[in-house]
Formats: sequence, C-alpha cells, structure tokens
Amino acid sequence: MSGTPRRRLLAVAAAAALLVPLAACGDDAGSSPSADSTEPVELSFFWWGGDARAKLTEDALKLYTAKHPNVTFKTTWQANQGYFDKLATLTAGNAAPDIFQIDDNYLTEYASRNVTLDLSSYQKSGKLDTSKFPESLWKYGEVDGKLAGVAFGENTQGLVFNKTKLQAANQPLPTSGMSWEQFITWAQAAGAATKTAGTQDPSADYKAFWVWLRQQGKDLYKGKELGFTAQDVTAWFDLWKGARDKGATPPPDVIREGNATDITKQLVVTGKALTSWVWVNQLPELQKNTKDELGVVSYPGDPKAQWARASMYFSVYRGSSKKDVAVDVINFLANDPEAGKVLGTDRGLPSNLDVRTTVESAVTDKAMKTSIDVENQLGKTFGPSPQVPLKGHSTLRSELIKAAESVQTGKASSAQAAEAFITAVKTAISK
Amino acid sequence: MGRMTGLAKRSLRLVVILALLAIILYPLAWLLGSSFKSQEEVLSNASVWPEHWTPGNYPQGWTHFKSAAVTFGRFFLNSTLVALLVVVGNAASCLLAAYAFARLRFRGRRMFFAIMIGTLLLPGHVLIVPQFILFKQLGLVGGEFPYLPLVVPHFLATEAFFVFLMVQFMRSIPRELDEAAKIDGCSPFGVFRNVILPLSRPALVTTAIFSFIWTWNDFFRQLVYVSETTKNTVPVALRAFIDSSGQVTVGPMFAMSVLSLVPVFLFFLAFQRMLVEGINTSGLKG
Amino acid sequence: MALTTTQRPARHSVRVPQGSGRGVRREGRAGYVFLSPWLLGFGAFTLLPMLGSLVLSFTDYDILSDFSELHFIGLDNYRRMFTADPAFWHSVTVTVLFGIISVPLKLAAAFAVALLLNRGMRGVGFFRGLFYLPSLLGGSVALGFVWYSMFNRDGSFNQLLGLFGVHGPGWVNDPDWALGTLILLAVWQFGAPMVIFLAGLKQVPVELYEAASVDGAGAWRKFWSVTMPMMSPVIFFNLVLETIHGFQGFTGAFVISGGTGGPVDSTLMYTLYLYVKAFTDYEMGYASALAWVFLAAIGLLTVVLFSTGRFWVHYSDGGDE
Repeated sequence: MSGTPRRRLLAVAAAAALLVPLAACGDDAGSSPSADSTEPVELSFFWWGGDARAKLTEDALKLYTAKHPNVTFKTTWQANQGYFDKLATLTAGNAAPDIFQIDDNYLTEYASRNVTLDLSSYQKSGKLDTSKFPESLWKYGEVDGKLAGVAFGENTQGLVFNKTKLQAANQPLPTSGMSWEQFITWAQAAGAATKTAGTQDPSADYKAFWVWLRQQGKDLYKGKELGFTAQDVTAWFDLWKGARDKGATPPPDVIREGNATDITKQLVVTGKALTSWVWVNQLPELQKNTKDELGVVSYPGDPKAQWARASMYFSVYRGSSKKDVAVDVINFLANDPEAGKVLGTDRGLPSNLDVRTTVESAVTDKAMKTSIDVENQLGKTFGPSPQVPLKGHSTLRSELIKAAESVQTGKASSAQAAEAFITAVKTAISK
Repeated sequence: MGRMTGLAKRSLRLVVILALLAIILYPLAWLLGSSFKSQEEVLSNASVWPEHWTPGNYPQGWTHFKSAAVTFGRFFLNSTLVALLVVVGNAASCLLAAYAFARLRFRGRRMFFAIMIGTLLLPGHVLIVPQFILFKQLGLVGGEFPYLPLVVPHFLATEAFFVFLMVQFMRSIPRELDEAAKIDGCSPFGVFRNVILPLSRPALVTTAIFSFIWTWNDFFRQLVYVSETTKNTVPVALRAFIDSSGQVTVGPMFAMSVLSLVPVFLFFLAFQRMLVEGINTSGLKG
Repeated sequence: MALTTTQRPARHSVRVPQGSGRGVRREGRAGYVFLSPWLLGFGAFTLLPMLGSLVLSFTDYDILSDFSELHFIGLDNYRRMFTADPAFWHSVTVTVLFGIISVPLKLAAAFAVALLLNRGMRGVGFFRGLFYLPSLLGGSVALGFVWYSMFNRDGSFNQLLGLFGVHGPGWVNDPDWALGTLILLAVWQFGAPMVIFLAGLKQVPVELYEAASVDGAGAWRKFWSVTMPMMSPVIFFNLVLETIHGFQGFTGAFVISGGTGGPVDSTLMYTLYLYVKAFTDYEMGYASALAWVFLAAIGLLTVVLFSTGRFWVHYSDGGDE
C-alpha cells in the first residue's frame, strides 16, 4: 500500500534516513533455485531452544545435506529470551533467515505483515506434504486463509502434579475430567494434608482461561474480535478468588512466582504448590528439576475443550531467494522417518502420525513416556482447534497477568480488573 | 597516644569494610554456593549451602555446547577479544575528542559538546533497528568477523560517556601546565603529548576498566550481531543455558556465571593498581 | 564560595592573552583534528540512527512491515502519549520515584566507600575489587535468579528478618515492594561511580593537603575545603551520568520482572515500557516517540544540572568561558 504520492514521498524520505532500499522485500519473484537443482545453496535457519535441540536439529539437517549435497545450512540458535527481538530486527533489515521457528504467539503478527511465505500452493502441489498430519494440527498454522507455518510438534495443556507428596499424605491424585469446583475442593484438602498449597492459581494463565472459556461455549478469539466478555473474565477471576479464600492456593506473591512461564519458576518444581498449569510436553524437563515424581492430567472440566496445539512452527521468509529449497527442507524434517527419529519429541509430538508412531516406540525416558501417553489419550477427545491467536496476543497474555495479579493482591475487584483488561486488549487487537 | 588513635582508626575502618562486604557479597556467595547444587536441588533449595555438593556443574557447563563442539573457553576468548578491542578503541578515540573539548577553542565547540551529551540521552532500544539497518548497508553484519558492528564505532569515540568522563578529568588538570608547555614552544599536539596524555592516566584506567566490563556484560547487541555458536560471546552463551520454556540447565549456568566473573575481576584488580600509584606529584612538578 | 588562596592554588592560573590570531587559528584547526574521530563516528554511526528514530516517531512503523507500508501520522504518537495512554503516565511515576530515590543513595554509597578505600592499607586493591563484584554481575542471567532467591517469600532476606521476629512479604513479587527491591539492586551495584570517585580522589594534588595542614586545618576542614572542591568535577560527572542512567534504568527492571514491569506494573520503568511497545507490541513508531520525549525531559534535567554546576563545580583549568 503506497497511499497518496505525498505519503509515498515521505516513506521514501524515511527510508532514505535509514538507508533502506525500498521494496526490497523480494516478492514471490522467480529466480529462486528449485528443490531439485544441483547448484550450491546455503540456507539460513534460526530457532530457539537449548543445546540438546541444537544438536538434534543439526543432525537432522546433516541427513538432508547427505541427500542433497548442494544444500548446506547456516544455523543460528539461542534461548527463547531475546529470540523474537532478534528475529524482528533481522526482519526489519530485510535479513530474516530463510527458515525460522515461530509459535502461535507471534505467527499472526508475522503472517499478517507478510513476513511469512504463504505455503498453500506448496501444500496443494504436494511439495509440502501434510497428508499424515492431523487436520486440526496443520490448520492451526493458517492465518487469514494462508498457510503461514508448518506445525512442528503437537502439544496440549497439562496439569502437572506432585505424585510423591500426594501419595505420602495419602491423598487421591487428580484425574482428567474433574470439574473446576471438584478440583478446587480437592486442592484445598490436598493442600491441608500435605502442608503445601494445593494448586497454583491459574487466573493469570491465558491457556487455562482459554480452556475454561471453551468449556463455557466461548473462545479467546472469534474472527477479528474477542470471543468473550467482561462478565466471563469476572466469573473466571471470582472462581479463583473463591479458591484463594478457601486456602487452596498459595498467597499472591507466591502465585506471582509461578505466573512466569519459565520452567524454573513453576511452583510444582520449586516445591511451593502441588500442581502447576503447563504444556504436557514440558513434563520431562520439569521432572529433571525436582526429586519428587510428577504426573500429568488434563486441565479440569471437559477435556474436549483442549486441542492439538502446534507447539511451534517452521515458516519460510517471504523475502527469501531460496523458497523452494526451504520448503523442501521443512517437508523433509516433518515427514522423513529418519529425520523424525533424530528429532524425536523435542519440539512436541511429531506432526506426521506415521513418524509419531515410530518415535513413540523408541522412547525410554519415563517422564517423556508419561507425557506421550497422556497426550495420546487426550488426543482421542480433542475438540476442533480454535483459530490462531490474533495480532496483539502477547498483549492479551501480559494484560491478563496484570489484571489477575491486581485482583489477587486486592488492588482491584474482579469486575474492575476485568473491565480494564477488556479495554486494554480491545485496543491491542484492533491496532 | 596519637599512635593508638591511628591504630584504633585503622582497625575501625577494617571492621566497617568487612561488615559492609559481608552484606553486599552475600548474594554472590549464594551464587557460588548454588553453582555446586544438583539440578534437582538448585531450584528448591534457597540456602547458600548445597545439600549435595555437585562440582560436576563446572565441567558440565564448560562442555555444555555439544551441538557446535566448542567448550566455554571459546566464548571466553571471543569475549576477551571483543572487550580488548573496545578498550583500545575507547581509550584512544575518546581521549582525542576529550582533549579537543576540554582544552582547545574552536568554533562550534559548545554545540558539539551539547550534541555529544545529547547522544547519551536517547534510550537505546529505538536505535537497535536503525543501527542494524545501517550496519547492514555498510556491509559490517555477518561474515568471518561478526564483531565489527560491536567494535568499529568504539574507534570513533561514539561512547559519549567516556568522552565526558575524560573531559571532566582533564579539567582538573591545572592549565598552568599547558601554558608552561606552550611557552616552551609546544603546539596543541605537543601539549597533548607532553602534558595531557601523561596526566590522564586515572581517566584512561577508568575507561579501560569500564569498557572491558561493560563489553563483557553487554547482551543485546552481541545477541543481534553474532549468529554462529562458535562466535558467541559469554553473555549470549550464558543465556543459552536457560531456554525457559524448554531445556533449562541452571546449575552449569551458575557455574559458568561464576567463572565468567573471574576474568573481569582480574582485569579490574590489574588496572585498579594504577589508581593506587600516585600520579599527582610527578605530574605537578613537571 | 569564599575559599582562601592557600586552599585553591590552582585558581591562580595565568591566562595567556588569547589575542594572537595565529594562535587561535592554530588551536581551532587542532580542535577539529582532535575532534575528527568523534565527528566521523557521530556522523556515521549515531546521527543517522538518531534521525531515523526521530522520523519514525511520526509514523506507525511496526518493525515487521516493509518500509513501503509506512504511514505518516503526524503528531498522533505524541498526542496519544499525553492524552490517551495511562500506562505512559504510570511509567513516568515509577521512573521518577525510582530515579529520585536510587540516584542519591547510590552516589552516597559510592562516595562513602570510595573515601573508605582511598587510604593506603594492605589489600586495598582487593577490597576495591570485592566492592566492585556486584557490578561485575551486570544484568547477567544469573542475577535474576540471585535477586529472586534473596527477595522472595522464603528468601534469605526474610530469613534474616525472621531472626528479629519480623515476617517479611514476598518483596519482589509484591506490588507494594517490588520497586523497593529494584532500588536496592541499583544501589547494590554502585561500583562504577565508586571507581570514578576513587580515580578522582587520586587526582587531588597532595600538596593541597600539605598546605592545608600547614594552615592548621583538621581532617574535617580538609575534606570540605580541599577534597570537595577538587572533587567537584568528578562529583558533577557522576551526578549527571547517574541521573541519566538512573532514569533510563532498564536492566534491573527487565531482570526482576522478566521484561513485563510486573507485578501489576509496579516496576514498569519508562524504558521498559518503551521496550515492550517496540519489541512485544511492535509499535516502534510509538516507542520512538516515547524515546524522544524521554530525551527532551532528561535533556532538560541535564541542562538544569549543568546550570547549577557553575555554582558549585570547581575547575582547575580556570573555568569555561
């Protein structure tokens, strides 16, 4: 969109001040080497994660290079903190990597601004094969009818609990399908018996709120709007106010510790609560950080409200000059059985169901086995995926934390906080 | 009697120093202790003492980066290289600029000085993107030596902090010395070499210390410009231990954090000695 | 400031008449020569990005979109800030509170410790290093863990308070106290101004103290009539820089709140808010406007500091005309 000539002129002036060549964003122009050409190609590839993931990914890419000796990779990885800052900066400089990892927090931000390549045509022509993916999973990569990312790994919400402490106090373990009220009552009793708070208060947790909303027949987003009202938020906050009043949760400052998404701060790991609200595939990492044995069930309420969430995606940069090869690499990583074996469940359960079966049978880690079993069992009842979160989703997440914490600390009533939350979020998603 | 008070005073000072140190070093003692805790213990045990001593965190952290087959030593080398280059660049270029501001009269001096102070005021986050684009257009991004954007600007006195610091120190140098040198036939260059340069040691030492330490700790810019694991610097590598949503390796991260304090601490000790040896008399009698 | 000549011998500076046109021209040329690295660096690496951000502050730039999609929106960003953004005003309050408490405390701590460590004693260098250690940690990833473990509910600080029968709150996680821990963190890392003070103390000519002793001045008198005036340029430097740095205070808030400014925005420093706007909400145009308003405000404060400086800062070079 170039607007009026005057506007265009101003844009040129701004770009000149920044020394940017305009319209550098290489459009879907065609000098790109095709996937089966033999001229040397170097693809840049960027993801977040730890060193273990880096090792696996490098090994899987080596398999690709072994099959296509002309294709090599320039890989970059880092921890999640700062990842999106760097990716955005690279994008601004027209220097985004050919392939990058992204999650549902940011997919719409990037897709709606045309940073990601629309992969639909590759999918139609079969160059990108998603036929073995659960349909709801690959669809969770669609933004405004364009396939913006290839779901790479599946996960779903999981309520992780401290088995050791519960059993030591002769308390029943939580089960999938408990109602929210039953769960809170359970947490109150279990907390009293173990002298550890029964559950982290998830009122600040968007994924718990989201599941709860879906159980009320609502959703987080509907089209370009919010799928809920201030009343829903108030009811959600009140539900947990009740739980706090009963002593089923820790005090507000401890709740806040667990409101960080970091594995290192989850109360079930730091020993400050019996349950934490996480993603099922985080169980193995959580388990490594505590002596106590952990278990996992679905969030309370009807488990049908949970869905096959793409834990992350691979996207291709629309300005890349090697799009075809980039898509072929993603296709290989997602569908090749050998590559699948190498990558394992590190990014979530493999999207390709055939690959998933092979990988699962090879798993030996106990916590990983548990998380796979639970995911598969919940998978049988998964409802349809919601739409991918809108632009402004990260604002929604941080505003929910702020609103919930202001209720927890008594700075605002549930209704006041809900009102402020709705106002802030509406502004964010309409920008 | 006088001796006694002297001794009492000295002892009192030592007691005060030790008491203060005990307070402010406690958090670091906790860090040191935690670097010996096992992974199951490190997040749940808040005390300084580990229940199970795990010195293994150190070798484990040192060899953590298996994907790129490098040890942590490589990151120390990379960081040291970048930090030393920045030290040299800042010390040399800022001293020249400071001399101009502090001692020479020329048109536009006040305006340039105000602009220089002004560059300190803009929050850096809005400069990240324009700077990245600029460095990319200049061809400084990536390549075999990805540190150019981190180093080159420092050879051109872009760190106004140090220019201002040196200006303030130079202005404490009595002007008679300049005048005396001028009477002896020194040009402005001669004054710089014979008077200002030798008397600027405290400012230069301070600049060196801060340049080294701040570069050693700078995370964001190094994250943006360095992309290959083997080229990583210490702060970027330290964060790579904690992918907070996935693989977290806290104990080894603590261990490497403790180790990463050692070079900067030694650098500080080596350079602060120059703040002890008096320069005053030698300078003033010259 | 009536000071006797014994205490300020440097004030005697003989002014060479600057009339000689050749000398002035030569000095002028030399000025540009010495300034040339800075001029080049400023022109090449600082000026353009700064102008870029100024231009962007009048746009809806979002980092991710191509520049061809940039829209000029005039003063909208600035208008929104002052009229329609409560978070902006909140962050100003947090920042001012943080700045006016932490800057004087940090400077006082740094100066006191510098004086304590100025005298020759065995191992003084090592002690200086130990006092500097907290600052060596910078904004390292370990710092977040350390501060958390000191100042959460079961943290060391509360264990200490427990000895006196006091039940402390969960400091870092309590909206009423989190900013306090942030201030404490800033003061704890007082190493940089301490070193600058130490370097400044080393530059006070010992002759001045000797002369003062001859005049029969005691320690207290020497401090006020020799140390303080001679140190004033360095005190001034630290005051200006720590003020700027204090109001910018990003790292601590980022580390403590995990980049959010929580709990309940209690640590939402101005620059942290700016960062969130730029890199989380992708409103770089708005963030640029925030940055330029910051520059204007702190610039004004700096001008005020500089103008007070002429009343209390003593320069041995005879002052700046």
